[in-house]
Amino acid sequence: MIEQIVFYMLASVILLSALGVVLLPGLMHSALCLGLCLAGVAGIFASLGSDFIFAAQILVYVGGIAVLILFVVLLAGSASDKVTRQINEAWLPSLLICAAFIWSFLRITAYFAGITAKSAAAPTVKAIAALLLGDYAVPFELISIVLLASMTGAVLFGRRKAQ
Amino acid sequence: MTLSHYLALSGILFAIGLFGVLTRRNIIGILMSIELMLNAANINFVAFNRFLYPGQYLGHTTVIFVITLAAAEVVVGLALVMAIYKNLKSIYVEDYNILKG
Repeated sequence: MIEQIVFYMLASVILLSALGVVLLPGLMHSALCLGLCLAGVAGIFASLGSDFIFAAQILVYVGGIAVLILFVVLLAGSASDKVTRQINEAWLPSLLICAAFIWSFLRITAYFAGITAKSAAAPTVKAIAALLLGDYAVPFELISIVLLASMTGAVLFGRRKAQ
Repeated sequence: MTLSHYLALSGILFAIGLFGVLTRRNIIGILMSIELMLNAANINFVAFNRFLYPGQYLGHTTVIFVITLAAAEVVVGLALVMAIYKNLKSIYVEDYNILKG
């Protein structure tokens, strides 16, 4: 019972704040809604029993990406954003595309109807560490190269012009 | 809770993000909508791992990779947005038309 209550509260928070991200005219409001939505997704991860993903979501998304987007909104936004139109002319075809996507997605996932969890959630950190440093050590190291490359690229694009 | 609940949630969240990508005029809004879509995919990974393969953790590992790549993507994307904004003084994608092919 309490599981249902938690799920529906988290789902309503996620979906309403996601609609806020997409539909609100002010960029600042959108960015704040994005932070709320990412925190709700972290709550969904916690309710699914994946503790490490929950912590990573809070650290990377809520603490990093949302704050970074807020900074860019502060730097690049302007006061006229609130009064200019934020949605382009293609909203009706987009709405139809999204409706078709939801309909087909629910048709496909009807195959998985009625599956419940068979065992209680267990701590996952030790098993994830064994995978990351065992079978998936090479992708794990490649990810660090990707991070280094993206950091270099961000510094390169973000620096002032050479004198 | 069944697997279908989580799948429906992630499907609707993905569709909202798709709508944002297709309709926002603002490049930062488009980047935020892409984050929504990545989060929907992450919910799917963790839910399938929890309900269909308990005791295995490949879904969790994939989600960690996705989160890391999303962070790298958004860092480079926002740096590019700032570089374009310095030149064009606009964050609306219709104005990004100086590349005439």
